[in-house]
Amino acid sequence: MDFLVTTLLNALTLISILMLVGLGLAISFGLMNVTNLAHGEFVTVGAFAVYFVQSMGGSFWLGLAAAPIAGAVVGCILEFAIIRHLYSRPVSTVLATWGVSLILQQGLELTFGLGAKPVTPPIEGTFDLFFTVYPAYRLILIGIAMLTLLGVILLIGRTSFGLDIRTVIQNREMAEGVGINTRRTYAIAFTFGAAIAGLAGGLVAPLAIVLPQMGVNYLANAFFVVIVGGVGSIGGLVAGSVFVGGLTSVLNYQISPSLAQAIVLLAAIVAVRLRPNGLFNGASR
Amino acid sequence: MIARDRNWLLIFAVCVALAVIYPFFADGYQLTVIRDALIFGLFAASLDFFWGRTGILCFGHAAFFGIGGYIMALVTLNDAIPFGSLLGIMGAVAGAAFVAAIIGYFLFFGGIRGSYFTIVTLAMGVICQQAAVSWSSVTGGDSGLIGIPPIAFDVGGLHVDLSQDLPSYIFVAAIVAMVVLALWSISRGRWGTVLTAIQDNEVRAAALGHNAPLRLLVTFVLSAAIAGLAGALYVCMAGLVAPDLSGLLLSTEVIVWVAVGGRGTLLGPVLGAIFIQRAQQTISSFNPSLWPLLLGCVFVIIVFVLPDGILSIYARLKSLFKGRRRAQ
Repeated sequence: MDFLVTTLLNALTLISILMLVGLGLAISFGLMNVTNLAHGEFVTVGAFAVYFVQSMGGSFWLGLAAAPIAGAVVGCILEFAIIRHLYSRPVSTVLATWGVSLILQQGLELTFGLGAKPVTPPIEGTFDLFFTVYPAYRLILIGIAMLTLLGVILLIGRTSFGLDIRTVIQNREMAEGVGINTRRTYAIAFTFGAAIAGLAGGLVAPLAIVLPQMGVNYLANAFFVVIVGGVGSIGGLVAGSVFVGGLTSVLNYQISPSLAQAIVLLAAIVAVRLRPNGLFNGASR
Repeated sequence: MIARDRNWLLIFAVCVALAVIYPFFADGYQLTVIRDALIFGLFAASLDFFWGRTGILCFGHAAFFGIGGYIMALVTLNDAIPFGSLLGIMGAVAGAAFVAAIIGYFLFFGGIRGSYFTIVTLAMGVICQQAAVSWSSVTGGDSGLIGIPPIAFDVGGLHVDLSQDLPSYIFVAAIVAMVVLALWSISRGRWGTVLTAIQDNEVRAAALGHNAPLRLLVTFVLSAAIAGLAGALYVCMAGLVAPDLSGLLLSTEVIVWVAVGGRGTLLGPVLGAIFIQRAQQTISSFNPSLWPLLLGCVFVIIVFVLPDGILSIYARLKSLFKGRRRAQ
């Protein structure tokens, strides 16, 4: 019983992180048709923000507040300097954002030096959950991720900016026709996605190995979250996260992590082949 | 975007002539450097054959390079298998083609194109690298396999032994030249024209009776087979095979070579590969961590400044002068 609950909570931790990382990708990949290969670096930047604040003597919570800001700043600069010029050239975007991701990785390595960076969690110890004991910090992580997701759902469903975004998703030309500044909507949405990814990076920092190259691990998985789940809906995002995150957590008990990763990606490819319509929102690109 | 036939053949002839006279001026070490660069040039040409003609970017092409390399290593390291080198090369080509056929079938007939294809192939590269790391009983895990013998075989009185620098250089250069010429003649003919039609408007091409997914699949398989050949050649020359030969970084590097050399020119990617590898060696000798930074900058600069690659400078200059002449 306690084994089952622990597995479930481990899966939930991973699913929460994947949802936060996948959200930004769902915005850029789904809404804007921009294949942003530098998205993993937003996660890295968030994790490094926590490390930086802690190494300066600040608390973890201050670092966690800085993480989405750091992600947003990097995302905003990236959108302004590069991506907005390439909306009509998808392949060029792939090349340019991959270049940016290399630059960011190497820039972090040159600034902070080689080797993994230590980040201490704000709370040590475990929490008694009746069925099992579980690390308290992981429960907090799951809670913050769920609250963030709820906030995003409210933002998209209840605010006028959310209405703008939904309009642009449905029909870009029409949105422009009714006076929505699509470029501005894109820029804000992209920055917002980067901020959420930065927050995800800040949240995983105490659990993960904080390295300049850590973003790549999240990138491939997050892309599959978006592709498996289908773009354009929060429900798809959740479904994709549960598929990729759940499968990875379960497999991690049986086999080595690298083999588990390989199998999950294979399963995702098969899923994409078998359910292309539900996954691709009708139009394939 | 294949340059006009006469120009292309002219540049090709110049390159072949340069390759022929190069051994007279170079010592053994320089020969091996160019030889290895040429193998990566072949790899770049294989990617360009697919990416350049279809406009669909494969972000995991190193997977095929790695598969070819591993098959070659496993076959030649097994003493029980006769004609190791020949069978190894054939196995490498067939293995890479087989994997490409399965993946390509899934993707092309599933209607997956563009960015989605790029992402799935990106994952394919990650999968191959992870599999090479975790399947350590066969692949040697992280450290890979070492002690792969150089290519040597006897076929019908023809005795080939590539343990020396000069023969191996000649062998590689000849293969690269032949393959590039063959790919070019395929892509300038009817096959290439149909691919261009599919790239421009797949629905319309299909309406005209072309089996678009099948065309794309066959092109992809051919491209992967040549990448496998390049991988097989490389591990014999280097004497070892390691997981990063199928990894993400090599996949991205080959994309840079193609982009720098000029997508769709076949010859440009080979030149781009040689040129960038020389630059990489020079820069890495100053500071090894500087190279990825510069590589990233090259990606960004290419996208904005030279979207058609270095060979396009020539075409641009020409049109510039033509424009002037008309203005006078």
